[in-house]
Amino acid sequence: MAQQQKTLSVQAEAAAGAGSLGALSGAGGDRAREAAMEIGLRVGSIATLILIWWALSLFFPPTLIPRPWDTFAEVAEIVSTGNFFAEMGATLRRVAVGFAIAMVLSVPLGILMGTLRSLESFFEPPVILGLTMPGLIWAVLMIMFFGLNETSAYAAVAVTIFPMLAISIWQGTKSIDKDLIDMSKAFHARPWSKVVDVILPQLVSHILAAVRYGLGLAWKVVVVVEMFGFSNGVGYQVVRGFNVFSMKTVLAWTITFLVVMIVIEFGIIGWLERVVTQWRPRVEAWRR
Amino acid sequence: MDMAYVHVDGAVKFFSREDGAGMLVLDHVSFDTKENGVTCLLGPSGCGKSTLLNAISGLERLEQGRVEVVSDHGRATTLSPQLGYVFQDPRLLNWKRVEDNLIFALKGMEVPQAEWKERIHKYLGMVGLLEFRKQYPLYLSGGMRQRVGLARGLVIEPEVLLMDEPFSKLDQFTARKLREDTLAICARLRQTALLVTHDVEEAAYMGDRIVILSARPAHVAEILDNPLPPLERELDDFGFIEFKKRLLQSVLKLMEEEVRA
Repeated sequence: MAQQQKTLSVQAEAAAGAGSLGALSGAGGDRAREAAMEIGLRVGSIATLILIWWALSLFFPPTLIPRPWDTFAEVAEIVSTGNFFAEMGATLRRVAVGFAIAMVLSVPLGILMGTLRSLESFFEPPVILGLTMPGLIWAVLMIMFFGLNETSAYAAVAVTIFPMLAISIWQGTKSIDKDLIDMSKAFHARPWSKVVDVILPQLVSHILAAVRYGLGLAWKVVVVVEMFGFSNGVGYQVVRGFNVFSMKTVLAWTITFLVVMIVIEFGIIGWLERVVTQWRPRVEAWRR
Repeated sequence: MDMAYVHVDGAVKFFSREDGAGMLVLDHVSFDTKENGVTCLLGPSGCGKSTLLNAISGLERLEQGRVEVVSDHGRATTLSPQLGYVFQDPRLLNWKRVEDNLIFALKGMEVPQAEWKERIHKYLGMVGLLEFRKQYPLYLSGGMRQRVGLARGLVIEPEVLLMDEPFSKLDQFTARKLREDTLAICARLRQTALLVTHDVEEAAYMGDRIVILSARPAHVAEILDNPLPPLERELDDFGFIEFKKRLLQSVLKLMEEEVRA
């Protein structure tokens, strides 16, 4: 952390030296080239994956590894018949609700654990235990407890990702700058202002990292829950494909799912990250 | 500006060490700061200067003695919100724009929102950063960030401005310019200020009154008033050098006594 701050301040000095406003707003061409390069690399990495898939499909029968374009045609079919949106919507809703519950509970708990020694000691064991608990077991437990309904899906998602979120925020809180807390005391900041203006902004990177891991985990759990006997959702559709042993259907649903995930990850979370970290010059450790 | 000064009377502070033994940090420290002027607390590193400043600001409790701000409003303990603080590091909220850092202080001190805009204009202008008010701190140089810290201390229009070695982490050139500007601003506002420093020249330059503290446990060794008015102190001026020498002699004498003791 200290190291990182040092790098940042050195960069900022350099920027200031070069006429700080100019360094910020100028260099538009450079930035555009950089952005194009970034997008190119991402597209290239996905193209490489498809290429490997295609190569493998040459050596296996289509019932085991269907051709990429056949599968994409199936994807188009799924999307155009319209049931895609209903199924994906159901899954997204389960993830969103479960995620929101976990977030609302873990942020205050994490901050309290990071700032109060007694709460840290009390909550550390259950949180660590919770982290080791497989999502599959939570899914089974929640369905047995709540029955086959939406509540069990929400609960399974929330309970599975909660420990991970709480740990990130708890550890993040321990690394916040004590000098800034003293400063906020000297200027008589109210408790709410201390949390919103001083503590939370220092946790943003930790929370964003937690959100990414948490979403990844949430998708995995929700599909498992849906496989257990739900009548809609992406997990259910994958099981249906499995029951008729259609590799193409299974893969097609998986792909639609991945595409939606990528949109959320790069679109929504990436945008959120850019918005909340615009105050920070980028760390360009390897640039000369 | 109303009349104001800080009255410190018999301040005693212990720190408890790991082994349980108490360590005396402040040993009956008493002094009055200069009314509507800058008072420097001059002493060696680790002598308890910052502890004293924290006691004055209410961040630290004294075992004995008291600290009061005496003003037109009467005598008050320093726990009430009338102190501005400038730290050794800027201690800015880097995720807030320059003006929002000032608003953070205004909000804490419950300054009516109607006054914010005018005050931000006035004090950012004074430190010469008005055009950077929408900028984020990490895009500013170290000296500029410290100026934002100074503006934040001033914007609440405190009865007393406390400054804890605010120039010690800056390079010589930046520090010199910022000292000059800070002194001019304090003189113009007739701001009562308390500046902690271990630098004799800085004390001679900045202080209308200089309180020399001994090494730990700190007690007041000597109190000197600067014969030169704030805006007539030139680093290469004969009168200034005379006074600096006078101050240095006191400090050297104090060090000698401590070696003998």
